[in-house]
Amino acid sequence: MTGARHDRPWRSPAEFAGTLPMHDPNEAIRDEWLGFPDALAATSRRSFLKLAGFGALAATAACSRAPIEKAIPLLIRPESIVPGKSYWIATTCGGCSAGCGVLARCRDGRPQKLEGHPGHPIGRGGLCAAGQAELLSLHDRERLATPLESGRATDLATVDAAISGELAALRAGAGRVRVLTATETSPSARAAIARFLAGFKDGRHVEWDADSRSAALAAHAATHGLRALPRLRLDGARSIVAIDDDFLGAGVSPVEHTAGRRAARDPAARERFARHVQLESRMTLTGSRADRRVKLAPWEIGAVASALATSLAARAGVPPPAALPPAAEPVERPLAAELLAEVERLAGELWEARGAAVVLCGCNDLATQKLVNSANELLGAYGTTLDLHSPSRQRNGDDAALARLRQELAEGAVDLLLVAGCDPVADLPDGEALAESLKRVPLLIACSTHVDATTALARFALPLPHALEAWDDIEAVSGVVSFRQPIDPPLLAARSLRRTLASWSGDARDDRELVAASYSALVAERGAAASAATFEQALAAGFVELPRAGAAPVARFDRAAAAVVVAPPPADGRLGLLLHRKVAFPLPRHAQNPWLQELPDPVSKVVWDNYAALAPSTAARLGIATGDVVRIEAEPSGAAVELPALVQPGQHGAVVAVALGYGRRGTERFARAGPKWLEGRPTTGANGRVGVAVESLLADVDGCLRGDIRSVKVTRTGRRHELACTQDHHSLSVPEHLAPEGGATRDAVQSVSLVALVERGGHARVAHAGSSDAGHDGAQESAADAELWSDDHSGEGPRWGMAIDLAACTGCSACVVGCQAENNVPVVGRDEVRRHREMSWIRIDRYWQGDPEAPTAHHQPMMCQQCGHAPCETVCPVLATVHSSDGLNQQVYNRCVGTRYCANNCPYKVRRFNWFDYPRDAAHANLALNPDVTVRSRGVMEKCSFCVQRILAAKLDARADGRPLADGDVQPACQQSCPAQAIVFGDLRDPDSRVSRLAGHGRAYSVLEELNVRPAVRYLADVRDPGEVRDA
Amino acid sequence: MHEAPLILGGKRVADVTADVCGPIERGPTGRWRRAFAAAVALLLLGVVAVGYQIAVGIGTWGLDRTVGWAFDITNFVFWVGIGHAGTLISAVLLLFRQKWRTSINRSAEAMTIFAVCCAGIFPVIHMGRPWLAFWVFPYPNERGPLWVNFRSPLLWDVFAIGTYFTISLVFWYIGLIPDLATLRDRASGLKRRLYGWFALGFSGSARTWSRYETACTLLAALATPLVVSVHSVVSTDFATSVIPGWHATIFPPYFVIGAVFSGFAMVLTLMLIARRVMRFEAYITPRHVEAMCKVLVFTGSIVGLAYLTELFTAWYSGNPYERFTFLNRAFGPSGWCYWVMVACNVITPQLLWFRRIRTDLRLVFVVTLLINVGMWFERFVIIVTSLERDFLTSAWTSYQPTLVEYATLAGSFGLFFTLFLLFCRWLPMIAMAEVKTVLPSQDHGHELVSDGLTAPAAASAPLPAALPLAGAGR
Repeated sequence: MTGARHDRPWRSPAEFAGTLPMHDPNEAIRDEWLGFPDALAATSRRSFLKLAGFGALAATAACSRAPIEKAIPLLIRPESIVPGKSYWIATTCGGCSAGCGVLARCRDGRPQKLEGHPGHPIGRGGLCAAGQAELLSLHDRERLATPLESGRATDLATVDAAISGELAALRAGAGRVRVLTATETSPSARAAIARFLAGFKDGRHVEWDADSRSAALAAHAATHGLRALPRLRLDGARSIVAIDDDFLGAGVSPVEHTAGRRAARDPAARERFARHVQLESRMTLTGSRADRRVKLAPWEIGAVASALATSLAARAGVPPPAALPPAAEPVERPLAAELLAEVERLAGELWEARGAAVVLCGCNDLATQKLVNSANELLGAYGTTLDLHSPSRQRNGDDAALARLRQELAEGAVDLLLVAGCDPVADLPDGEALAESLKRVPLLIACSTHVDATTALARFALPLPHALEAWDDIEAVSGVVSFRQPIDPPLLAARSLRRTLASWSGDARDDRELVAASYSALVAERGAAASAATFEQALAAGFVELPRAGAAPVARFDRAAAAVVVAPPPADGRLGLLLHRKVAFPLPRHAQNPWLQELPDPVSKVVWDNYAALAPSTAARLGIATGDVVRIEAEPSGAAVELPALVQPGQHGAVVAVALGYGRRGTERFARAGPKWLEGRPTTGANGRVGVAVESLLADVDGCLRGDIRSVKVTRTGRRHELACTQDHHSLSVPEHLAPEGGATRDAVQSVSLVALVERGGHARVAHAGSSDAGHDGAQESAADAELWSDDHSGEGPRWGMAIDLAACTGCSACVVGCQAENNVPVVGRDEVRRHREMSWIRIDRYWQGDPEAPTAHHQPMMCQQCGHAPCETVCPVLATVHSSDGLNQQVYNRCVGTRYCANNCPYKVRRFNWFDYPRDAAHANLALNPDVTVRSRGVMEKCSFCVQRILAAKLDARADGRPLADGDVQPACQQSCPAQAIVFGDLRDPDSRVSRLAGHGRAYSVLEELNVRPAVRYLADVRDPGEVRDA
Repeated sequence: MHEAPLILGGKRVADVTADVCGPIERGPTGRWRRAFAAAVALLLLGVVAVGYQIAVGIGTWGLDRTVGWAFDITNFVFWVGIGHAGTLISAVLLLFRQKWRTSINRSAEAMTIFAVCCAGIFPVIHMGRPWLAFWVFPYPNERGPLWVNFRSPLLWDVFAIGTYFTISLVFWYIGLIPDLATLRDRASGLKRRLYGWFALGFSGSARTWSRYETACTLLAALATPLVVSVHSVVSTDFATSVIPGWHATIFPPYFVIGAVFSGFAMVLTLMLIARRVMRFEAYITPRHVEAMCKVLVFTGSIVGLAYLTELFTAWYSGNPYERFTFLNRAFGPSGWCYWVMVACNVITPQLLWFRRIRTDLRLVFVVTLLINVGMWFERFVIIVTSLERDFLTSAWTSYQPTLVEYATLAGSFGLFFTLFLLFCRWLPMIAMAEVKTVLPSQDHGHELVSDGLTAPAAASAPLPAALPLAGAGR
């Protein structure tokens, strides 16, 4: 580079002659290396290599450590882990406090699917939608990744060092320390909290649930001396009366109760069929499945409970319960005569079934709950359908204790507040006032998975681990201890509350040791040390059942009267407000989960929004249509929210119902959900978030948080906000003015009354003379004559099929999210759903039938019917959808050119087209993808495959074991997760398989059987027991 | 013979050549430039829309999980239908010796080809992955070989449209050869070489005329069955499906007659514009218009009958799905489309029974425009209303088109008019050679002077001999 001028390249004679400035090749480089042009100019190749080598080494050495030490292949591979092969780990769901057992399918150390643990006593193999979606929550890119100090990222050591000084000062001083958590079901965590608080002069643990059952807990403390919820054992029940309790949907333990309901309702025998009557004001999932549904305004609940208890007492020949004031006070608002007659009838029914009857009530009012307890006591429910001996610990929140804490906070009487796993600022009515008082707390520490409204105020924010990356022991129901173990190397620098508090209390043990110690203590305490499993055995099993301790609590109804707190009925022109929780969001944090946001509400089928549900008559009176933005103004406080209205059949005419848990901090990110294009609209609303927060309208009454006592004014604003609803037409009947003669109603859903079913010997339909009675086979044989083409598939091997029992299905939508997780179904955002381009492979059709004010609801899971004569197959020009030898209708993504003819020609409209390349949330969320299933690209068709990847895996396993495939070896994701076990999959050619027997069942039918497309899915007609009403 | 002459103004053979070649040789007029600019602008709009759609996804159309086809296939069937008239006029009317067709057949054939071009775009761009469109062709490949699905009507479409396009193009081109030779003879330089190349050495000798005539007749015979087959096959896209409103045995004849109807309407629309713009009043006379109006009344009435038959079949079938589909079509949320269709396709052509209306070219122009609109709506109604509400009520949706779809439709018109205007500019719009055979002057045995040549003039002479020998003198 230092050669003579003539050695340099030249481009023109002028340049060569030197009349033009010579091009210097180093010029550009010098400019680039601004700092050291001279050094570079002097650099020879040798020294460059030196520098490069040094630089590379320095860069390497500067890293703290190699990212993953285990990247080195294992010299001795653990026997259980084969790279690329899935294995299962038992753990416990963290989706809510119900504590269902979970089996996590993992591969190469990463969880890929969560499924119900079949042996687990709570979930019994089922897992709800929120539980399934926990997989995505684990991979949420917006999870709090590192500790924050006043909003700035720091690390745990720094936080610990900073806090330990303050803690020491507090221990020495007044030490007014409060720990606020959601219901804590982990004994070891409780112990750690207790030990931590014991170090202070004034330490207190406050538990609080956003979905509070405080009154029911207090009522049991009063009537049974035990502050717990009885465990509901529906299995043997014969009569269930639920008053404003969505126990199958947004309840305390919906999976457990759905399984119980299924077990309690055997259509084959009338005496084993539990009749379910629901009294409620809004249409809940539970109400939609009741045999009889009675509309009941929130202000009538107390009176109904009291009338029911009185009537039962009269039947039992005992004095009426004390909680009822002897002389009817204003509390005893006179009930409408028909409602009284209804209650009387219910009392009779319950009394007849005493010993197998139960009254449930979700109202958060102490006196009402006491009345319900007395009714249950009279019915002999305690010890049969209600178990207080091994009570539920799934709710332990105490609204009164929370109220005290809020008082203290307002007074500035708290030195340290540790908030863990809950967000009081967002979930309490006076969030802003609370935020102000929280700012005055000297030391506010928040442990959370996300930066929520409370965490944002905290001086120290500590990330909480996800349930799949934590050690835990969960005793959600007394005597059932389930475990969690990290099945995932933690993605983030999170530390459990237990570990955090233990280390602050000077306990250096890690989570595993703490949990193991807690387990041995528990075993010793229950006197099961000799018989119980070792910790390792318990971990492997996922749970242990411990013997009951002590005697069952005895009821002792005190004579002190408590007034039922009910709101007065709203004045003229006002409506009663009912705030409720959503089926998809058992915990408020689930609002951060796009799978759950895009899960159609089981009742309204609306996604990505909350809304003001109004009865059709009320909406008509107020001139409001679905999608009109209404203003809900609370009286007299004046608090107001504006949100879109929804006309909801079956809703009480004087009630407006709105879901809680929306408009939350952090949902701003969903503005980016879904494809971006010319006419695309954002998923978030006008407030920049998903839905509208209505927590400000909750009310605080006598230490209980109530969402059902406000009176509100509902007015139109004139604006519109189109709700994204997966279903446009909600009836099995075509619009009246278009109804052809005799064809107004389509029988996609068939239903039969219990009485008729028993009379017909288990057949849903009256057998027609001449027609075959043998169900499936008969139908196929008679249709065989009408074949155009010969069957081009051999009769050997299985013919996969499915049976769906509509009598068992509750519409809970667990299958929908289960399918989404298993089959990598993308989230498409609000606008795409509004345009009817949702991608879910399985949908649940919900139809209303009858009077819109008091309709019957039907839920029908609908997925690819895997037709034997598939209309989609003949029309594809490129053979992208073909029939397999085992009867599957296969979609070949690689071959698909996307003509959409198959979808047009599908009578069930179950095919889904990739209209866009759907943005996945982040590379992070891609870890939740199932590697067995292709991620589909833009422009191809897709649909339910009957989980063909599972069929193949089961076939391979069977072949490896040298055995034939057995019935039950293959379980598609929808069947596996169904809490009601409504779905059965198997081989229709095997006459002994469960699915074959169900397919030939008297209640079995195929949807659109008349088209002779020969669907492989058979539905079993719904069975209801409407009471006296007998159908023809 | 004819009660009135087919060509007015006492045109001589030389006048025909001058009139037809004139616009080509004189170069573009201002009017042409403006029309061309507008057409290209529309075309560009369509190109942008289609480019955007291919880049971003089919989601930029208003389709949904229930309505998988809407504007795309509507446009496709509409354009294929338009493309029907050319072949019908050239082939069938040739075989039936309808001499009045000579003035319009060239343009009608050109229109056919351009319409089929427009139609051909839609099956490609409507695919989710149009870059793989070649997979619909059965060609030897390394995937097994993996063949196409011969049971799929979409594949039949590929063959039907492909065949139709090929035959139409060849027929049109062969018909052009004598006129190309005339242009060649009148041109010089590059133009002369180009026209000459395309004229395939047509010399005007008796032998070339004889070959030409034979080829035309053969191709006409080949093309005739295609008139029936193309739209019959297109109709099977719907007829072979299970969707109520699509699944109908009446579809093949119904579609064919609809196509003839819409094709004639479009030919008439274009002819009425062209005779004004290109000053072809003498060649495209009210008599031509009237003849075509009669075809419109006839086909329009059959279309009306087909609508009634559909309704009757639905009612008579007793099938509640079928019955509902037609009630929904007429009185459902998209019912207005149905009534637009009925008003335009059934009621409007009935006006043409009146001679006063038939001979008022302005009214005829309006009628043909309405028929074009109505025929587009017919396809839209069949496709969209049937899909919107089929078997399971839970899956019902309502379709809303997007801007991209409107732009794509506009773009297809842009392409059509761009091609048509290019055709007007570079090729003889009227088949000179054929028109000369029907010149009224022939009947009077006038001496004909053409291109400085004296041609034998004898009405009774065989067809080729009666023609001026294009290029014979050079």
